[in-house]
Amino acid sequence: MKSILIIDDASTVRLYHRSLLEEAGFHVDEAVNGIEGVEKALSRTYDLFVVDVNMPKMDGYAFLREIRRRKEIHQSPAVMVSTEAEEKDRQRAFAAGANFYLVKPTKPNELLEVAALMTGGRA
Amino acid sequence: MSHPAIGQEDFHKFREFFYRKTGILFEDSKRYFVDKRLIERMEATGSDSFRSYFTMLRFQASSEELQALTNAMTVNETYFFRESYQFDCLVNSLLDEVVATKPPKKPVRIWSLPCSTGEEPYSIVIYLLEHWAKLDRFDVEIFASDIDTQVLQAAAKGVFSPRSVQHLPAALLRKYFTRLANGNYKIDEQVSDSIDFSRVNLLDPLDTRHFRDIDVVFCRNLLIYFDDTSRRAAAEIFYNAMSPGGFICLGHSESMSRISDLFRVRKFKDAIVYQKPL
Amino acid sequence: MPLRKTRAEDLPQAGSQAALSADEAIALLGGPDAAGRQAAARRLAGNAAAAEALCARFAVETDIPTREAIAVALMRTQSAVTVERLLPFLSSEDAALRNTVIEILQALPAEVAPHMERLLDHPDSDVRIFAVNVLEALRHPKVEEWLIAVVSADRHPNVVATALDLLGEVGTEAAIPALSRIAARFADEPFLKFAAGNAMKRIGAGS
Repeated sequence: MKSILIIDDASTVRLYHRSLLEEAGFHVDEAVNGIEGVEKALSRTYDLFVVDVNMPKMDGYAFLREIRRRKEIHQSPAVMVSTEAEEKDRQRAFAAGANFYLVKPTKPNELLEVAALMTGGRA
Repeated sequence: MSHPAIGQEDFHKFREFFYRKTGILFEDSKRYFVDKRLIERMEATGSDSFRSYFTMLRFQASSEELQALTNAMTVNETYFFRESYQFDCLVNSLLDEVVATKPPKKPVRIWSLPCSTGEEPYSIVIYLLEHWAKLDRFDVEIFASDIDTQVLQAAAKGVFSPRSVQHLPAALLRKYFTRLANGNYKIDEQVSDSIDFSRVNLLDPLDTRHFRDIDVVFCRNLLIYFDDTSRRAAAEIFYNAMSPGGFICLGHSESMSRISDLFRVRKFKDAIVYQKPL
Repeated sequence: MPLRKTRAEDLPQAGSQAALSADEAIALLGGPDAAGRQAAARRLAGNAAAAEALCARFAVETDIPTREAIAVALMRTQSAVTVERLLPFLSSEDAALRNTVIEILQALPAEVAPHMERLLDHPDSDVRIFAVNVLEALRHPKVEEWLIAVVSADRHPNVVATALDLLGEVGTEAAIPALSRIAARFADEPFLKFAAGNAMKRIGAGS
């Protein structure tokens, strides 16, 4: 079973993404900010990170930069999920280490397609 | 009337709030455990429904009830070798990193706070004597602090109940303790004499200003009971008291992710700990 | 004996840690030494008269631990001045700075409350989202009323989504009418429909 780590400070977003992804057959873990995300990413291997931008303590950009420079973390793809639709925000996400960019609020199909694509097929 | 009921959605609402605040996540299988403690606290505070209790919990300016509830949700008992994976991490990984960058002749400093009745700092000493091969090459200073002078007196006395020492291997119990006539155990004076006990209020700068260049902090099961601002202030005070590259160990249900972004997460074979950047 | 007992109070103290007067601390806050600025910030925590100086330094401070020491000092000082000086940073492009400002404002509910209606009406949707983030930790009797106003009137789906997240936790029956209109107001947004439904389920609980 492919596993996904959702990093988002909004519990409703985590719940929504979790229920969609679990229904599609993924194992899902959650973190409320980048620091907890790093802790979880150090503790097990994930096939995909779904990362919010604005979070307290450590935001999504800082999380991506942090996991990308750590050799001990499995370098799986990351989807940044942002409230911003502008090109400069997209570029910033890619520069920090994201592999895909989705604009919030996410549509169920978008998230599921990206998850399937990024994890190399269905869960 | 039976006690107030807690519905499935109440449980979910509470679980999310408590997770955000503390980092402790209760699985559905813990439902009975959580409900039981919630109902206890609801009764203790005279709340007639989950809703009125939750509103108080969330909006109380003093956070007193959140602290009381956290206390009820976490078992906080001190005994020798409690959460010993962190002591393993200390002697297997942390100290070797600390001394690798330490200028010659500078002592290694370890600070245990809150030290309560002494089980934690004494466990550290025993671990160092038993398991850290480099001990004869470095000076190690161990500080143990608590806000409560009564527990400090007990700690300095070094007398423990059989329950408190029950997780110690028998050989270590024989080696470092004397059994008293009343069945309690007194720790060897060589061990107790190697620790400096002091009264410290972590949030009072006058109390903490002496603590400098600390290489390893053990602060387990304290910050989880602080409000958001106080725990953040405490982390900042530790950061200031620590040497660059120093480590801080929190309790098993505590995470720096709810407290401060000053530290770096480090994973070792035995544990995840937090490091002040070099 | 490699275990060496040293009394904590005998440890030599760094010069900047010695007891400072408030005036000395304010002067030190602008100094070149980061450790000195941190000691000054710690000394000034709780001193409302120093909020202006702490905010001024916070605005230009680039050293991360020092910024944190100042942030903690501001959280521990109930001052309306802090809120006035820091609110403009909600529009800052510096995410780390902005997030720290949100956390400072969360610690100052009484001082933030008078500004809240204006913030929730701000033309920039990001600022409105951050205002709802501030509400999350705000202990204030009007929190639910403000959230209901947001989910009833704000047109931006992400502002409404942020408010829905919080309403699930603090909402009462008073929020139900506004919540039941969300699915129609945002017919193209399945997430908002889910979030409103989830909030209603939570509110319905225990009643």
